[in-house]
Order: sequence, then structure tokens, then C-alpha cells
Amino acid sequence: MSGNPITDAVFQHTAKLSRLEIKPEESYIKDQLAQAAEYVEVLKELNTDNIIPTYQVNHKSNVLREDIVEASLSQELALSQAENTDNGYFKTTATIKK
Amino acid sequence: MTTLNQLTLKEAKEGLKSNKFSPTELTQSCLDRIKSLDKKLNSFVTVCEEDALKQAQSADIFLPLGGIPIAVKDNFLTKDIRTTASSRLLDNYIAQYDATTITKLKNAGAIIIGKTNLDAWAHGSSTETSDYGPTLNPWNPEHLPGGSSGGSAAAIAADETIISIGSETAGSIRQPASWCGVVGFKPTYGRVSRYGVIAMKSSTDSPGPICKTVDDAADVLEIMSGGDPYDATSINEAPWKKPEIRTNLNGLKIGLPLSYFPSQTQPEVKSSILSAVETLKKLGAQIIELPDVLDPKYSIAVYTILQRSEVSSNLARFDGIRYGHDRSFFGTEAKRRIMLGTYSLSAGYYNAYYLKAQKVRTLICQDFDKQFQKVDALIGPVSPTTALKLGATEGQSMFGEIQDMLVEPSSISGLPGISIPCGFDKVGLPIGLQIITPQKREDLVYQIAKLFEDNTEYHLQKPQL
Repeated sequence: MSGNPITDAVFQHTAKLSRLEIKPEESYIKDQLAQAAEYVEVLKELNTDNIIPTYQVNHKSNVLREDIVEASLSQELALSQAENTDNGYFKTTATIKK
Repeated sequence: MTTLNQLTLKEAKEGLKSNKFSPTELTQSCLDRIKSLDKKLNSFVTVCEEDALKQAQSADIFLPLGGIPIAVKDNFLTKDIRTTASSRLLDNYIAQYDATTITKLKNAGAIIIGKTNLDAWAHGSSTETSDYGPTLNPWNPEHLPGGSSGGSAAAIAADETIISIGSETAGSIRQPASWCGVVGFKPTYGRVSRYGVIAMKSSTDSPGPICKTVDDAADVLEIMSGGDPYDATSINEAPWKKPEIRTNLNGLKIGLPLSYFPSQTQPEVKSSILSAVETLKKLGAQIIELPDVLDPKYSIAVYTILQRSEVSSNLARFDGIRYGHDRSFFGTEAKRRIMLGTYSLSAGYYNAYYLKAQKVRTLICQDFDKQFQKVDALIGPVSPTTALKLGATEGQSMFGEIQDMLVEPSSISGLPGISIPCGFDKVGLPIGLQIITPQKREDLVYQIAKLFEDNTEYHLQKPQL
């Protein structure tokens, strides 16, 4: 959390991880990320040694239910909102080259 | 002359039961109001005229919300009704099932009159980032309604509906309620199921009512609340029940955190809160100034990191394969938030950002625990200012975080709170008082808010439209 960590390479890598295409006219987002990163530096003022992180405020864990099949969406309804379907399946873009 | 759309929930229920008017007349009155105003205000993304009138014809008025029109924030899934989260990415999405809250409201007889505008994906505190254009504040259309539940708050203020619901992640119920001069009740995290609410920051997302009076909000919260097997973080308890009304606040200690008056606090906001302090004192409460409540500036930073991180994860599912359009349809605000979240969670930065923020969150929770050993409840302004003008968010990448600085600490800690009208600024814009209690003490939130409302008249004032 020091200096401006958002280099062009970091910015491009973050966009790739986010699966977002950042248009040239949106490149100002990089500066805004740096501003936010700078703002949160304020947390350094607080000592958090030996402090346990709070991921969940009502302290629940491992909430399980009986392993019983329940009614769910029909195949037709599940597919109803997809732009591309094929033979009862969702159609995705290719993820592996032939 | 009072028209039906202006009625409170209590008045509407009484009128229906005594056959003064029918559910159809009540629903039509709200639809007429929407038709005459909403081109200007833009509170609604979708109006369900045909369905609403059809349901009104067969409404069972003896159900708790039988025949009552409700406006629903457009991030709650509503079966067979378009649900957009105010993003063009979901412009064509027809929900395939109902959110648990919607099921409960429908079972209670409520009639969905329409889906209300919000900041796209609930990312913001202005409703200005909606892909369907901003909602305007009914008190002054040059001003913002707040957000992200700005459409629901404006619809209540403008009497376009009898009741409404919103969702709060860090201020999104209380802040628009404050800016629109209505009542916004944010329950304890987990009190109301998140199932079927388009996820924003899952560890604080809390659905709740926005209504015309404290009693109305409490009545709607009763219906919405209760454990849900479809939401693992919901509190596995029976629905919350409204407690008895108190006749005074004798014996109650209410804390006033001095750090909740930051330097940018508008003078009229401060004077209205101090006037509310005097009202609460007259009602018997002991007011204790708290000089050592953790500065809300830390909550802004914690919220910024955690919200972005959870957003980057939650919005990863929107790939245009199963529903909606592809990721090129995300607006700039969503892209900015996803990027920062991905960055703060990515290898090499996790400890410095995400983990550090979660540890500071512990300190914020501990600070509340410490304060609640001294007092029963906390009060303060909801927002440092009254409604800002349209365009205030432009170029402000942390607009929402800074606007919501006084509600972020309690949201991060999962505490219940309410915003109730407590005054007006010199140009007539409303001011909200917030009341915060320990987790699961909505009873106390209600009792203090109800008694304050019964002894003041701010909630009776209406915008001139």
C-alpha cells in the first residue's frame, strides 16, 4: 500500500482477470483506481496485529441442509433467458482451441 | 383533497376493510399518479399496470397486505416481470423465479405495481448511475433522490405507491429515505433473506422497507423477515414482530457520536439533529455524547475495499450465457468497481487490502460493542448534507462512499437502523435522523422512532408536485 501501484501492466492484467474490455476513452479508470488505492491507505493508521478478520457479521458457519432433492427450475425455464441455446443446452463461446 | 394514493398503509388497510374503496380503486389511484408524474420523476423502470389491476380484482383484503400496491426495487427478482438492476446488461431479463421476500409479500396479498429505479447494480448513492436515467427528488427535481434505492424512496415521497421495498448494502435504504423525507428501515444483516436479490456486497446486503410512516415500515418488515433455507446467512428465527409502543423513553440511554458530525456537515443538518436530541430528552431519554466513537473515515476505506472485492466476485456470473447480455454492457461505474475489487483480491495485494480491511472491520464491530456497553442506542445524521444537485456524482469515483460515511459503520457491522424525517434545510429539502441499535434490536429502533414520529410533524409534510 505505498506509492502508485497501478502501472499500465497491472491495469491491463486486472482488466484481463476481470474479463472486461476497457475502451481507450475509459482509461481514466486507471487514475481513479490509484486514487481509491491512495484513499484506503488511511487503514494503515490502525494497528491490526493479532486482530481476527470479520468475514461474516452474524458468525454463522457451515450451514447445511438435508441432502434431499428439491423441486427446481424446469429445463425449459432455465434456458428461457439465454440468447443462444442448442438442443436443450446453453451455448457458450469456445474456451479451448480445436 | 386526499386521494387514495396518498394514504399510509394503515389508512389504506382500514379503508379497504371498511369498504370505503376497493383494491382496484386504490391500485388505479397509484397508477394514475405514476402516469401523471413519472415521466418527470423517473422513479420506475417498469410499471406493471395490467398485472396489478388484474391482481387487484381478486385481492383478499383480509390478508396482512391484501390489496396494497407495493413498489419493488428493480434488483429483486420478480417472476415473469423484467428485472434489470437498472443495467442495460439485464435489459431483456425476465426473472424466472421470485426472491424469497417477493414470495412473502405476494403471500401477504401485496400487489406489485412496478419496479423502481436504482443506481445500476445498486452501485451508488444517487440513482444517477442508472442506465435508465436518474430519478429526480420529488422535493426539488433539480436534486438527487439519493440511492441506491432512490426510485423506491422517491415513489413513496411522491405518493406513487402505498409501500415500497429497497435494499441496503451501506446506506441504500437510509440515505435515500433521508434525502426524500420518508422512513427507511434497514434490518439486522440476515433478518431478511437475500435469496433472489441481485447480489452486490453479499456480506452486508440487507433488504428492507421504505414507507410513509414508522408503523408502515415495521408492518412491512414483519412480512419480509424470517429465516430462509435458501439464504445460508439468514438469521434462523421466526419473523420479527413489532413490539408494544412505549409511552416515554424513561431509563433509556441514547448515544450521540461526536465523530458523526464531520467537517462537511451542513449547519441545518446539525441543528435538526440537535433539535431531535431535545425532543428525545423531553420524552425521557438520557442523551450521552460519545467523544470516542471510531472515525467513520475508516469505514469508508473498509467499505470501499470490501464492496469492490465482493462486487468483482458477484458480477463475475454475468457472462451473457444464461441470461442478459455480455460483459460489454457493463457501465463505467460497474467496470470501475469490478476492476478495483479484482485488484484488491489479486495475488500480491490480498493481504494489504482485503485482509487488512476485514481486520479493521473487526475493530469497527468491537467499537460498537464498546459503545453499546454505555448506551442502548445511537443517533446521528443519516447524511452530512441534504440532497445534492443532479450532476454531483460526475467525476467523483468515491461519491457514494463519502456520502454514506455515517451509515457505513453500522452496515459493515450488520446493525439495524432507521432513517426518519427530523427537519428541513433552508431551501425545504428533508433531513433524516438515524437510530442505530445492537444486532437484532429492531424492537428498540422501532420504539424510539415511533415515539419520535408521534411527537413531531416532519413526516406529515409532503412535496409540492
